[in-house]
Amino acid sequence: MRISVRFLLTAILLASLLVGVFAGDVWAQTRTKIRYALGDVISIDELPLLIAVERAKQRGVDVEVTSFKSEEVATQAVINGQADVGQGTPYAAVQKVSIPIRFFYQLSALQFFPIVNKENYKSWKDLDGQEIAVHTRGSGTEAIMNLAAKEHGIKYKSVSYVPGSQVRALALLKGTIKATILDAPNKNLVMKEAPDKFILLPLGNVKASDEALFATTDFLEKNRAAISVFLEELTKVSRAMNANPNWVLEERKKLGLLKDLPQKLEAEILPFFQEAVKSNVFPNDGGGESAARNDLEFYRLSGALKGENLKVEDFWYLAPLKAALANVK
Amino acid sequence: MERKNLVAIGVVWPLISFAFFFGLWELAGWWPISVAFPPFSKTLLALLAMIADGSLPRAYLSTFQPLVIGMVLCGIAGIGFGIGMGLSRAVEWFTLPIFIILQAAPMAAIIPLITYLYGIGLTSKVLAVVFLAAPVIVMNSYKGIRNTNPSLIQMCRSFLGTKRQEVVKIVLPHAGALIFAGLRLGLAMGFIGVVIAELLITPTGIGDLITYHSSVADYPEMFAAIASIIVIAALTIHGLERLERTLFPPEIRGS
Repeated sequence: MRISVRFLLTAILLASLLVGVFAGDVWAQTRTKIRYALGDVISIDELPLLIAVERAKQRGVDVEVTSFKSEEVATQAVINGQADVGQGTPYAAVQKVSIPIRFFYQLSALQFFPIVNKENYKSWKDLDGQEIAVHTRGSGTEAIMNLAAKEHGIKYKSVSYVPGSQVRALALLKGTIKATILDAPNKNLVMKEAPDKFILLPLGNVKASDEALFATTDFLEKNRAAISVFLEELTKVSRAMNANPNWVLEERKKLGLLKDLPQKLEAEILPFFQEAVKSNVFPNDGGGESAARNDLEFYRLSGALKGENLKVEDFWYLAPLKAALANVK
Repeated sequence: MERKNLVAIGVVWPLISFAFFFGLWELAGWWPISVAFPPFSKTLLALLAMIADGSLPRAYLSTFQPLVIGMVLCGIAGIGFGIGMGLSRAVEWFTLPIFIILQAAPMAAIIPLITYLYGIGLTSKVLAVVFLAAPVIVMNSYKGIRNTNPSLIQMCRSFLGTKRQEVVKIVLPHAGALIFAGLRLGLAMGFIGVVIAELLITPTGIGDLITYHSSVADYPEMFAAIASIIVIAALTIHGLERLERTLFPPEIRGS
């Protein structure tokens, strides 16, 4: 009798172990992991991404977001196979690297603000022969400033490279630089800290991606279902945000995202998204072919892309977006 | 004949070593270990192109500016502090901990602090060079003074030499070799400081070439810029080492 009890216990233990192993295996098979490389620190502008990540997780796709120091490092992670999907606009790398990497979704369009010290300059014409500061050589900020100079028939004396909108905003407030270009949160910061000291210069319609998703075509083809789920969620988030910017705040609260955000930054969430939505920063359709064409034109003018007659299919892989949009009502 | 053989060995072996290293680099580039890793031949071509179009010489003009200013400051103030610390217990007590802390501090973590205090201009870059180079120069000068052979000092005193004569005729010549070695090691740290500053503060000079070519995926040019600063730093340090051997032969170095 004692033996049979022991036998029974062992059998139960073995059975539960087997069930556990198989269940784990089935669980692992039904879930897909996407290693996502972000070339930035996670802050309020990443909230749409974080919401989409949470929603994709509920549908069996685990998007593991890793924050890297810069877009270049994130791009290298994708090139070397340490990440599956990267975020940014490394058009030059896509053109020059021998493995096929393609963009497949536009997260957001460029939104920058040329800003000058009122005491020194009042208009674009005043910047003729003057010094300006932009992010880095060959960056989108430099391209925007150069396009504006061309449009207004002016020439800068010199262009200084000061990486980071936050650094340029502080330098502007300290008076070290007099004319630069900032992203929305830092433009708001400068205007709040010294409302009467600076003015924004008007900018024509610049249409290009600020953040887009890219991956190897091999990964996109092998993980169609997971990528479709992720893109569907990103599209739904963009549409919900565009319909009501306050939705981001509600979702953040519901999902418990960026819990330890300082109160000062918390107050900036709604104005940031209201302004971005007003400026059509988040596309309802993932950008697609029109975004691709605008990007090719803009990044060719910026000097990042070389050559004439650039083809969309050499830079973008549109099939995953088309498949995802077909599933989003 | 034997001397001729020694010279041949001194030339041939380093050449074989270089050929082996560059050969491995070429293979690794074609294999490739990463699609972003260019072979040696492409890097060399990129380097020549950058020299020909003037971008590399222009970059070095800009990079050498904070390096030279920083090294001159370190040379004057650093050796001064080192000698002061070596000769006076009070100066030693007051300044030694600062230089020990500076020597141990990770510079990449301090640079953001420098930019907050001194902005993004030339001053910050000079300070990055000084913060890295000064501790080595100061500590070497200090140790050189402190390690003066006591019997030489005794000898000076027994000949009724004054304190001034003791310092000028015994201590300083004896410490010269270590002070010079400190300058050489300090320059090596200075090279590290200026590149870190150009990569972390604002991209200028060689830092700009590395950052820009990396951002537009011109990997051979990026590697050429990195290789050029390594070669220039290594050649400068090696040149100084040879000068040091000529100026301070082993019998003077006292080791």
